[in-house]
Amino acid sequence: MKLELGKIYISDVQFAEKTYVENGTLYVCKAEIERLVLEDERLAGARVELARPGESVRISPVKDVIEPRVKVEGGGDIFPGVIGKVGQVGEGRTHALVGATVITCGKIVGFQEGVIDMSGPTAKYTPFSQTNNVCVVIEPAEGLETHDYEAAGRMAGLKTAVYVAEAARDLTPDEVVTYETKPLPMQIAQYPELPKIGYVHMLQSQGLLHDTYYYGVDAKKFVPTIMYPTEIMDGAIVSGNCVAPCDKVTTYHHLNNPVIEDLYRHHGKDLNFVGVILTNENVFLADKERHSDMVAKLAEFLGLDGLLITEEGYGNPDTDLMMNCKKVARAGVKVVIITDEFPGRDGKSYSLADAVPEADTMVSCGQGNLIVHFPPMDRLIGTMDYVESQIGGYAGCMNEDGSFDAELQIIIASTIANGFNKLAARTY
Amino acid sequence: MKGVMVTNNYRCLEKWEGRLRIDYNKEWGYLDVLLATRDYIHRGYFLLTHPLAGSVKPNQTPFKSVILAEESLEGAEEFRDLALIEESIEAYRKFMKNRPLPGWPEQTAEDFRTIDLSLMEGVMSNPMMNRR
Repeated sequence: MKLELGKIYISDVQFAEKTYVENGTLYVCKAEIERLVLEDERLAGARVELARPGESVRISPVKDVIEPRVKVEGGGDIFPGVIGKVGQVGEGRTHALVGATVITCGKIVGFQEGVIDMSGPTAKYTPFSQTNNVCVVIEPAEGLETHDYEAAGRMAGLKTAVYVAEAARDLTPDEVVTYETKPLPMQIAQYPELPKIGYVHMLQSQGLLHDTYYYGVDAKKFVPTIMYPTEIMDGAIVSGNCVAPCDKVTTYHHLNNPVIEDLYRHHGKDLNFVGVILTNENVFLADKERHSDMVAKLAEFLGLDGLLITEEGYGNPDTDLMMNCKKVARAGVKVVIITDEFPGRDGKSYSLADAVPEADTMVSCGQGNLIVHFPPMDRLIGTMDYVESQIGGYAGCMNEDGSFDAELQIIIASTIANGFNKLAARTY
Repeated sequence: MKGVMVTNNYRCLEKWEGRLRIDYNKEWGYLDVLLATRDYIHRGYFLLTHPLAGSVKPNQTPFKSVILAEESLEGAEEFRDLALIEESIEAYRKFMKNRPLPGWPEQTAEDFRTIDLSLMEGVMSNPMMNRR
């Protein structure tokens, strides 16, 4: 399967009467987006605001972040089974507005989602301080049930992203990157001397606000499967997870999975990237047992020499991570796990909720318990009414001038457990 | 399958009373649910759900539900459940030492009940729960 990703670099975003791209600036029609979002009767309000790198702007509470992409050639639509029709993706050509995002925000539940600062000392912890963001602030219809509101919020972001991405369809990309993974026997034969490496991508799948969708399938209801890495770049995986801001994998992060990106970078040089195994993180222990068995079976079936595993979340997923690690290692495959840590503020407690002796090689994406100071900002997109109850915030953390202190885990993607960040821990 | 749900979330009690035994106590905190779960394990029960289900940390949500049964549904290693519950209690203590649970307004507490209920819904709708 071969995908050409045409990157159109966006360096500014502005409002206009219609939505288009010119000289690296994304122009968006505010009224058109608001009309589109409000087609959903579950939503009573939608307000579009823009946030650019370096501005004194705070966005909160953030639900999802999405990179606008459009399918130009090859089968299927972006976000198949969710926005687009069900159909195979990952082949042909896709255009992406790189440097632009759609961000959904608004109150969903009391403990809320995370914060993005576009400037100041906390901006460096999130990648979205460096992007030009089209923010959609949503409000629910009166009496809307929480599950329905989450679904409406998720769809509002995806619909907006698909709408904005249409502007990229007929453009000539600034850069075209080609990714290719062949059918297994051919892929192995292409680089017979290089180690065969796979990637186990664990999807959050515990329940309300903890769900992920693969071609529209609720991830808690599937069994582990094999995916061509390029499928994810066309939106085969959509995030419905909005509980732990620091390490949730937004839809943007699925589209731009850094493990897949880096494995392709090494592909044919020092390793042979043969494919992705998708699995889930269910609450039911019997599911964990069955699915970690299947992950190990698929790793063996693919003839892998080594693999990387990423998880999403803390606690329950740590057990899946360790079960996968242990069983894969026992199947004779070398394994490296990638995760973030919660070792307490002093950094001295166990940083994961589970451990096995086979987990002897780990890449850390930083720790979420560190306290950081957030200075006041000139403009707020969304609301700070809930900061004290947002994850990472605490009673009395908010000051009158709009500044506050909170744990790093309140910042979107600050310790994201797939490495799309700049934090790490090292052993000396 | 003789199952029991240990919970301090009355919405779980309302939803599944009669479907399986519910060991509900409104006075329990998160830790009390974990300790009661540990007691069941020592009495020979097996964990069906992960004690730390959900991404909301033990010092964030007041509500916790765990399902156990008299028979195991998987060939888990001996003492696996005991290790899991002890690690969960340890994780609880770590988070609480870091920062205790806030006194949430009722609307927020209700959101936490909804999340906990949803985590259990995924399990209760699993066909394996229909085994008799």
